[in-house]
Amino acid sequence: MTKMRSNRLKIVFMVCLAIVTIGGQHFESKVAQLLQDETEHIKCFVERKDLTCFWEERNHLHHQYTFTYSYENKNKMACAVSSLLAGNKTIFFCKLPKTPFFTTLDVQVLRDGRMLYTRSLNAENFLFLDPPQNLTVMSSGKEGQLNVSWLPPPLKYMDDSMIYEVRYAAEGSNMGKVEVVKVSTMLVLLGLQSDTRYTVWARVKPDGVAYKGYWSAWTEPVFGVTPPSDVDPLIVLLVLFIGLILCLLSLTVILSHHKFLLKKLWPDIPTPEHKFPGLFTVYKGDFKEWMSQNNGSMWGRSAHVYTEELPSPLEVLSEVSLTSHGMSQREEEEEKESERSDSGLTDRWRDPPHAHWLMEQLRALQENPESRCQSSLLQSHDTYVTLNQGDNEQQVYDVFEETLPLQTLFTTAGTSSLSTSHSDLGSLQQSLGSGRLSSRSSFEYPNHTWPHKGPGYAYMAVADSGVSMDYSPMSSSRIAELGRHRMYTNDYKNEICPHKWPLSGQHIKSGSESCTGPVW
Amino acid sequence: MQTFSGLVSVLIVFVWLGGNQVSPLRPICDLRVLEHFVREARDSEVIMRGCRGGCGAMKSYFVPLTSVDFAFWEHIDVHEQAVEVQTGLSLLVQALSTAMKAMSNSRLANALDNNISNIHSLSQILHSLDLQARSTVLPDDSAPTSSQTQEVSSLPELLQVQSSFLRGKVRLLLSAAPACQRQNS
Repeated sequence: MTKMRSNRLKIVFMVCLAIVTIGGQHFESKVAQLLQDETEHIKCFVERKDLTCFWEERNHLHHQYTFTYSYENKNKMACAVSSLLAGNKTIFFCKLPKTPFFTTLDVQVLRDGRMLYTRSLNAENFLFLDPPQNLTVMSSGKEGQLNVSWLPPPLKYMDDSMIYEVRYAAEGSNMGKVEVVKVSTMLVLLGLQSDTRYTVWARVKPDGVAYKGYWSAWTEPVFGVTPPSDVDPLIVLLVLFIGLILCLLSLTVILSHHKFLLKKLWPDIPTPEHKFPGLFTVYKGDFKEWMSQNNGSMWGRSAHVYTEELPSPLEVLSEVSLTSHGMSQREEEEEKESERSDSGLTDRWRDPPHAHWLMEQLRALQENPESRCQSSLLQSHDTYVTLNQGDNEQQVYDVFEETLPLQTLFTTAGTSSLSTSHSDLGSLQQSLGSGRLSSRSSFEYPNHTWPHKGPGYAYMAVADSGVSMDYSPMSSSRIAELGRHRMYTNDYKNEICPHKWPLSGQHIKSGSESCTGPVW
Repeated sequence: MQTFSGLVSVLIVFVWLGGNQVSPLRPICDLRVLEHFVREARDSEVIMRGCRGGCGAMKSYFVPLTSVDFAFWEHIDVHEQAVEVQTGLSLLVQALSTAMKAMSNSRLANALDNNISNIHSLSQILHSLDLQARSTVLPDDSAPTSSQTQEVSSLPELLQVQSSFLRGKVRLLLSAAPACQRQNS
């Protein structure tokens, strides 16, 4: 019977000791922290509802310490002093019974009856709470989220004046984040990595309005695992595979049509270099030099110069007598200015004829409608091309015989397919003879007025770029094809109405868009 | 801040007037209002600390007792608590008014005036919670210190008493008001 009692007493004692030890761990840790942080001699804190004050002394023997406190002008009250050994120092502490809050406490420490330390403080400003209890981390089921919850301090009137800090970090990571929570005792962590183990800590402190104090110690770490990502890896793989196939298909299409695409997206800048062989490479752009060197070869060259352009048909605006005005006649100033690229040739041209002479020629042409018909669309008073070998005799062209102004050209050039040719050619200086070009003009044929005079009828097709022309003889079929297209000058519009010819005496202006005759 | 407390007072008055005629007052249970008043009382203490020479307010005041023993407090009836709180608020208004009249610092005088307005608003809040004092007996200035009052000899002490009283007894009463408990339940 006595043995059973003694055993029970021992068990109770061990349990009490354990409880005291647990509490002592918190108490000792708080004491240790305040010993480092608090500068006052008397260090005080409220653990639950009672104020505890302590001070540190070296191991002195035979000293009597007394702790007293008073408030609201009341008499001083004494508090029982206890001690703890901490290495070579001793901690003396006193726990006030029925601690008065919201009033100024005057505490004093007396050693052997003499005042040692004194301090005035309000107990509600020194709360040093225990860490939050029951810290729990659970998965919310949603990706990248964890639910954290804990219990508030067991203080009846203070639980709504608390502020919490929650610290969390991925396992193995040193980088943690801290979330602050006011009053509430739960928190949802967002933005977390999927399928990752996280460590969570929490601590508490009064919010500083009604109560103030120190941060509690961190809780023991609690672990939680975030749910895995919702995306099925098989779906991700399939999407990637399909994407890869689509990329390969598009690449194949692009590579098979790369030339077409390149041409559309990055077209070549047209350059006249191929029409002037050696001009830019040998003569460095000196057109005069190039012309002088290539005087005889230009005309004889078969014209593959406009592979990409349809040659514009020439229109003979008028026919002039070469005997009267020599080889080269110059155009009016307006036409010259409209073709800037031929400025290099202008110095070889002669002055334009007088207006009086022009009118005479016009009248002559008007009196002879047959020649007009024969000359059909290719008539020009002043604008014409003389393509001769420098032989003046060959340069004699009768106006009315100018139905074949270029016949000589073709004859000289060795082309016999042309029976007639009417043209006022463009601004290029010809390679035949002196190669001088008398005028420039551009021509336009209405679609339906292109003459078809049989397979032997040839026209001079001029590609009107202002710098060159195509003198190749053309077949009627080709002419017919060209006739279907409306061709314009590059510098001025020269609409030739059907059956309206300069011989009709209409006023003509260069650049006019009205349906008038051509300009000379 | 003064505008805020004035607005609260006006609102309370209107609600009270309307409530008297038609329906009872709607209880004001949000403690953030009180926390606002507590911060403004603390602001007065800060201004006082920066006041050299006491700002001309060197006088003794009768102020309420502020100490709270939780074990004892929770055993007191809520209406007794309300009486104690209302009495204390009246004493504070008197003391603050006396101090403000003798104040030479305009900034502190404005702060004291703001504190007085806040205390008036608190009385209205208690009224909305049906915690108005059924009978408030203001002690005479010449009367000796009663068990519910204490005497302080300086304005800093007066302001500290005001701050402690609001944070302690007034807050405990508001947080335990039955009208607010009914709302939460």
